[in-house]
Amino acid sequence: MVLVSWTPAQAEALRVFAAASLTEAFREVVEAYQAGHPGEGVELNFAGSQVLRTQIEQGAEADVFASADVTHAEALEKSGLLGPTAVFARNRLVIVAPTGPGRVARLEDLALPGLKLVVAGPAVPAGRYTAQVLGRLGAWLGPDFVRRVEANVVSQETNVRAVLSKVALGEADAGFVYASDAQDAGRVRLVALPDHANVVAEYPVGVVRRSPRAAAARAFVALLVGPTGQAILRRHGFTP
Amino acid sequence: MRAAAALRGRERPGLRLCFGAAPLALYIALPLGALFVVVPVGELASHLGSPMALRALRLTLETTLAATFLAVLFGTPLAYLLARREFRGRAALDALVELPITIPPVVAGVALLLAFGRRGLLGRHLELAGVSLPFTTIAVVMAQLFIASPFFVKAARAGFESVEPRLEDAARSLGASPWRVFWTVSAPLARPALVSGVVLAWARALSEFGATMMFAGNLPGRTQTLTLAVMTALETDLETAVAVSALALVLALAALLGARWLGGRVGVPNV
Repeated sequence: MVLVSWTPAQAEALRVFAAASLTEAFREVVEAYQAGHPGEGVELNFAGSQVLRTQIEQGAEADVFASADVTHAEALEKSGLLGPTAVFARNRLVIVAPTGPGRVARLEDLALPGLKLVVAGPAVPAGRYTAQVLGRLGAWLGPDFVRRVEANVVSQETNVRAVLSKVALGEADAGFVYASDAQDAGRVRLVALPDHANVVAEYPVGVVRRSPRAAAARAFVALLVGPTGQAILRRHGFTP
Repeated sequence: MRAAAALRGRERPGLRLCFGAAPLALYIALPLGALFVVVPVGELASHLGSPMALRALRLTLETTLAATFLAVLFGTPLAYLLARREFRGRAALDALVELPITIPPVVAGVALLLAFGRRGLLGRHLELAGVSLPFTTIAVVMAQLFIASPFFVKAARAGFESVEPRLEDAARSLGASPWRVFWTVSAPLARPALVSGVVLAWARALSEFGATMMFAGNLPGRTQTLTLAVMTALETDLETAVAVSALALVLALAALLGARWLGGRVGVPNV
């Protein structure tokens, strides 16, 4: 979630600040945008939404902000730094387990004694969503179930991708990650998590108010919320 | 002091040399000083009293002491072998033992998983025997041992090499067994280097992060050491993160000064 990557700097390039979980999808969106706007440069800056918000508050030159969390976009909107926002994608949590026969075949197996469960820590958004899901599971399957699941947590990773890699390596029996993360990862299988126990993360996007390239920024957002962008996002595991 | 300085060919620095040397020294001093400026020293204590910091400190002391003990236990014979015996493959063994110093710790963590993880080369057999190492406190010690032991072996080896071979020969000619020669001649004479190796290995274990994160994960009270606590606290509570960083800095400084003092006291060059 702290990954920051810049494509080579270009004069007058459109600067898109996007949450780390959008990395793969946005690379494709940029390709689609450039196909329709030949010769226009686009710089992508990926990081945790909190980091991007701080960068914009500190005066970083950004044209588009795509957040993984409504609160960060709203805060920028309130302080007049960001124009009106629209939710362009949604993400859910999924339970992943290593491929092949494992100990976790269904949700109830998460409470098996001695199971190794890896989650994102309480400080990162994915960790907060995981805690919310466990709360809902508690209301459904009982507080004792949640206690036994929590006792199985062997690591609180600082980054949701680290959860995924530990499950893919087979070191953990299961983990909670975003549906979009699980989509492109090999070596993991999904374990059903019913919708009523799940939470939905909303991804808002907006044009930065003092953007010198507002027209291009609006064109990028239009592509993102339009059929082309939505098709790419769906392919990467997001829901509209 | 002056005689000693003259002996080593040292004189007072000129202005130009001072200007040349200052940037790097200041560059190192400034960020370290900043740790103590951002959070006032009086408030550091209150942040360090948080359960997260205390548990991380306790776990760090336990695991680093265990890792250092194991580095001495298994590193001493290895260092002595490299210093005093000639055999085929000695250069390769020498390079192998020092390799963990140069490989990135995250890579070491991945390597440990591939060897000792539950699907690893050795780990899959351990798993069948009911032993699972990743995500345990033992995994923290293993990561620290892997990264830190070369610092002890390197220092100990230099110490054994500095012992005059004829002193060992003399003891042997008086009928002492190799075991007795080691304990009565080699080890006592190499002691300053051994001690400084212990402190360096401990300090390196203290700063271990990458391999631990990969191999042992991050769970408060079980695998969350000081460095992992800093990383975790950074996401929410900058002041606690800075306070824990300052504490780690103080421990590292103590280790460095300890190594200097123990090494310098007996006139053995630092490693």
